[in-house]
Amino acid sequence: MVAAMQILTVDESIDLNVPVGTAYNQWTQFESFPRFATVVKDVDQIRPNLSHWVIGFGPWRHEFDAEIVDQLPDSLVAWRSLDRRFNQRGEVVFRPSDSGSDSTTVSVRLQIEPRGLVGLVSQVPGLARRVVHSELCHFKEFIESVGQEGGAWRGVIRNGHVHPSEPEPPRSRVPRWPVG
Amino acid sequence: MKKAPKEERNEQLKTTAPKQWAAGVPAVTHALEYSLDETSPLRVGVTLLNINQVNGIDCPGCAWADPSPGHRQLNEYCENGAKHINDEATSRRVTADFFRRHSVSDLDKQSDLGLNQQGRLTAPMVKRPDSDYYEPISWDDALGLLADELKGLDSPDEAVFYTSGRVSNEGAFLLQLFARAFGTNNLPDCSNMCHESSGYALSETLGTGKGTVSLEDLHHADLIFLVGQNPGSNHPRQLSALEEAKDNGAHIIAVNPLPEAGLLRFKNPQNVRGVIGRGVQIADQFLQIRSGGDLALFQGLNRFLLEAEDARPGMVLDQDFIGANTSGFDEFARHARTISWEDILTATGLPMEEIERVRDRVLASRRVIVCWAMGVTQQRHGVATVREIVNFLMLRGNLGKSGAGACPVRGHSNVQGDRTMGIWERMPDTFLDALQHEFGFEPPRTHGLDAVNAIRAMRDGRIKVFLGAAGNFVRAAPDSDVTEDAIRQCRLTVQISTKLNRSHTVCGQTALILPALGRTERDIQATGEQFITVENSMSEVHTSQGRLEPASRTLLSEVAILCRLARRTLDGKADIPWDQFEADYGIIRDRISKVIAGFHDFNRRVVRPGGIRLPNPVNEGVYPNRVGKALFTCNAWEMSEAPEGHLVLQTLRSHDQWNTIPYTDNDRYRGIHGSRRVVLVSPGDIEGLGLTEGQRVDLVSVWDGGVERRAGDFQVVAYPTPAGCAAAYYPETNVLLPLDSVAVGSNQPTAKGIVVRLEPAGVPAG
Repeated sequence: MVAAMQILTVDESIDLNVPVGTAYNQWTQFESFPRFATVVKDVDQIRPNLSHWVIGFGPWRHEFDAEIVDQLPDSLVAWRSLDRRFNQRGEVVFRPSDSGSDSTTVSVRLQIEPRGLVGLVSQVPGLARRVVHSELCHFKEFIESVGQEGGAWRGVIRNGHVHPSEPEPPRSRVPRWPVG
Repeated sequence: MKKAPKEERNEQLKTTAPKQWAAGVPAVTHALEYSLDETSPLRVGVTLLNINQVNGIDCPGCAWADPSPGHRQLNEYCENGAKHINDEATSRRVTADFFRRHSVSDLDKQSDLGLNQQGRLTAPMVKRPDSDYYEPISWDDALGLLADELKGLDSPDEAVFYTSGRVSNEGAFLLQLFARAFGTNNLPDCSNMCHESSGYALSETLGTGKGTVSLEDLHHADLIFLVGQNPGSNHPRQLSALEEAKDNGAHIIAVNPLPEAGLLRFKNPQNVRGVIGRGVQIADQFLQIRSGGDLALFQGLNRFLLEAEDARPGMVLDQDFIGANTSGFDEFARHARTISWEDILTATGLPMEEIERVRDRVLASRRVIVCWAMGVTQQRHGVATVREIVNFLMLRGNLGKSGAGACPVRGHSNVQGDRTMGIWERMPDTFLDALQHEFGFEPPRTHGLDAVNAIRAMRDGRIKVFLGAAGNFVRAAPDSDVTEDAIRQCRLTVQISTKLNRSHTVCGQTALILPALGRTERDIQATGEQFITVENSMSEVHTSQGRLEPASRTLLSEVAILCRLARRTLDGKADIPWDQFEADYGIIRDRISKVIAGFHDFNRRVVRPGGIRLPNPVNEGVYPNRVGKALFTCNAWEMSEAPEGHLVLQTLRSHDQWNTIPYTDNDRYRGIHGSRRVVLVSPGDIEGLGLTEGQRVDLVSVWDGGVERRAGDFQVVAYPTPAGCAAAYYPETNVLLPLDSVAVGSNQPTAKGIVVRLEPAGVPAG
């Protein structure tokens, strides 16, 4: 049965009544996802291209590391999980919506392999789509109500490598002398 | 109080087949056996249940990172960590009466093992110039004696302040602050002898002196190299990370002269397959490389990668990464193509097919990590080898992305943090400026002495006072006879210590023992109970808080000793609140946060579960070296070949040993029992050199200068070493390592590349 399952692809979009920059900047604040997302319980951003996620329903929890593979300000964030039991990858694209310059269309594409418990549960017809749609609605409600982003990371990530937005970002200011 | 053994055991050497796997149930039983022999079941329970836990005691055994909070085992330690922590928690005591009964000369005849077995030091002691005995001295008099000696020097540069990796961040910050306020940068440390080559090369090429990976990277790598390291004995918790990586599909290539058990298979005693199953295979490919051949291996791999790119342009190298982030590629590539395969095969001792198999694994892997330790750094071309590893990583973009990077595996628990805190003889002006701004004194700008240069200066009579903050400098240092003579030339030597060791018996004309609290013990000061902080090998800074009652009521913490010494010595020079520092370590951390970048809001952040992860600039896309880009380098080398009739000797630890301190005379993974005076030689070399197994030989090292260095009466043990390479235990063989035999650039002693000949014992060469 499992072998017959295909990679599940979910495409969902939503229009937000905030500018692209606001939507994108808020999205880069991964550690604040639990403020609006229902299934995201905790996020630890280890560095710009690596974060640790705890997701769950009710008492059940699942943890995984995620790598950002590509990121372009006001445009897209593409990631992949680093978990052999729950292999998923996705990207979120930001673009000005057709309805006006102060609004944004956010499109999420999520691909889930039918591996492990989470991967198999996600194959329940319509479940993954409903979760993604619901979380996008939560994001819309959150960012539209607060009106402005709570932070921003404006660097670029290409093929997993970080290209900072300034020559010496604050996180690079650490002791650099040789350690024996 | 437990009693130390009355006599040293004198057993016969017995050998068995080397083990093919590490840890498992025997690791648990050996750890408990040793621990319970040292102290009570209650104290063993307190130490083991607190070790490496959030808000617990940081294991002083090694610098390996802890899993993130919530992912730690109830028993988050290894056999050697358990032994080490209970070696400190021991119920044995060294009292004033002990020193009345044993002269310094008598103690000096005891083995390192025997000295350590005496237990914890309990009171300050002094040996006067006209005496062969340590006698009790009050703390006030001891610190007064030291302060007066320091104040009487013609120059502050006549003093040396050595730091070992047990010292906390707070202690290290205060020691360097005191030394600089006193007026010297003479701040050698144990890392001068361990990973100096790594820090030098990484700083030069990447602009950061630290490794770039975290445990998460190891867990998700496709391919992991373990080069010149023995995780089974020296950082066993690394095996748990490697086990997880393998479960996630990683392949591992081990590169080492000896087929160490921990490189082959790991039986994790915390899971079923480790207890009753076969455990997990660690190395998918084991390269039994000649000692010192690592540079040639990585140059060969780099040449292979360049040729693979020639065959499939745009498919092998990460041109995007190389173009955007690096400098010097063309020159490097030209040089790499000129290295001859014949030289590579000779230097490595490996067949071409083995290196081709490695190449194929590299080409099949998107994420590669290279871990390395002293097999790489303690070589004449240690710096060049680390540079070449950086070249290798950069070619396929294996820096700055998840699951990839450079991982120097450091040994002593806070060796990295001590350097972060400014324990370095050549700190940059930016740091010294910050000290000046914060504390209102002008720090000395002239560079100070590292370990090797400190020994030279003591030997030449230029140093009058040596202070060792933890550690066992006399045994950790190279060229034992030279080091011992150098130390004995000092007017005053002072050791801040927890246990008796050789650095107390080989001492200056006057010697002080200042007994300190251990990591396991409660540290109560005027404002209440204190914790200290440490930084592990993966740049995570976290707290450590002792739980045991101190070994003696008269012990002082390292921080307290340094604060009291500073008050007595500096007489109010500089605006430094030593009283407040001693009373409240949080005030020290507040000042650290003002001096050292990345430590903002230190007190608040460090108490969060897991503490602070210091970012690495490379992972932020920043290469803060002189050109602002990661540097490709061209690394020339000379063939490290021993002349006819000689072998290249590497010194190493036994499994039952922690740094300079053996816990027993056994090394069960290597099948050596009952004696440490053994030299491991391949069967072919034993025959070729006309030796026999079990024969007693002297090891004689070959070096310029006409001084013969001899380690007498070792037994030959047939062992699967590469042809031309031998191994023997340190510190017994440090006597063979010439002081001037150092890595180019880093001045690190070359303990893995000593050319020796084996002479029948007691028969000098004629």
